[in-house]
Amino acid sequence: METFLEKIKDRISVNFELDRSSIDVERKRVDVQIKKEQIPSILRYLKENMNFRHLMHASVVDWLEEGKFEVLFMLWTPKEKIRVFVRTKLDRDNPVMENLDMIWPQLNTYEREFKEMYGIEFTGLVAPEEFILEDWEGPPPMRRDFDTEAYAKDVFSERIGREDAQDVRETIAKRSGEVIPDFAKKHSR
Amino acid sequence: MDYGIYQDKLTRIVTDIARSHSLWILAYGTGCGAIEVPATMTSRYDAERLGVRGAATPRQADVLMITGYLTVKTLKRVIRVYEQMQDPKYVIGFGSCAVNGGMYWDSYNTIKQLDLYLPVDVYISGCMPRPEAVLEGFAKLQEQIRAGEARGATKYKDNLDYYRGNQKKIIKNWDFPDYNW
Repeated sequence: METFLEKIKDRISVNFELDRSSIDVERKRVDVQIKKEQIPSILRYLKENMNFRHLMHASVVDWLEEGKFEVLFMLWTPKEKIRVFVRTKLDRDNPVMENLDMIWPQLNTYEREFKEMYGIEFTGLVAPEEFILEDWEGPPPMRRDFDTEAYAKDVFSERIGREDAQDVRETIAKRSGEVIPDFAKKHSR
Repeated sequence: MDYGIYQDKLTRIVTDIARSHSLWILAYGTGCGAIEVPATMTSRYDAERLGVRGAATPRQADVLMITGYLTVKTLKRVIRVYEQMQDPKYVIGFGSCAVNGGMYWDSYNTIKQLDLYLPVDVYISGCMPRPEAVLEGFAKLQEQIRAGEARGATKYKDNLDYYRGNQKKIIKNWDFPDYNW
């Protein structure tokens, strides 16, 4: 299996300029990172030439400390039953990507979600403005710097009787003597 | 001698008793709490022996159950549904999310105080409330109806400005029709 995964990784890296690549034998997974300009071509290549026909999932990770959004596409092949993860990093201040729903039509739904929840723009995306949120005027709510607690306190009135509620993360850390790292303190919610 | 006043009172007592034994719930599951309703309805707990059963449309229903968390988006539909229901109508807040936001206390999209937007007669606490708790909630509602205290619809009509004001505060792009009660 290891040689087979290596072979797939080599075949991808011969054709594309990868930022980073690794394999995970236990999970039968090849993991590659690539510039965002090459995403349409690598996805098309994997689908049409290497039989990774099935798009399992697409998701976004918010790397707030780096100032990046990581967009992740998970592909699967039904014949060899292995996965390829294709990652790309976008600038957090100006997250723009090319529309990809001509490769897999279901990407249209994912892109609408990313646009609404993270504010990632897809050039050429044809879709209605709203996806899940209705009449939303605040910032994209899944971004880590969006303070949901402050927003909720500002917009909704709270019922009296929850004032003694403790911060879950801090209480558990204090009880077990755990040290919370700095990055987790600020944006743990 | 004029018996009109006694007749009115007698009629009210009788209709209240009759109403309390015929509560038709609107099958509108707003959150995860709706999963407890089938268990309450079916053979083990058999809510129908109390006269509690499901109704198909808002116009045929008496009880609106807010089962679980209520987002702003759903609140818009719930208000629309509540206003279509005919008097007498009752609201039951179901589960800790309906009581005070529950585990969604810091969510950007969940309301924390249901009674600002709709007149609630009974709250059932728990996450989730067991069918026993649900039945107890219904028993409480029946008591209130028999005592003539459950007048949510009248309260809503009389204090419409208060409820409308609260609703409009969080629902943007207000596009509701004006009802004439």
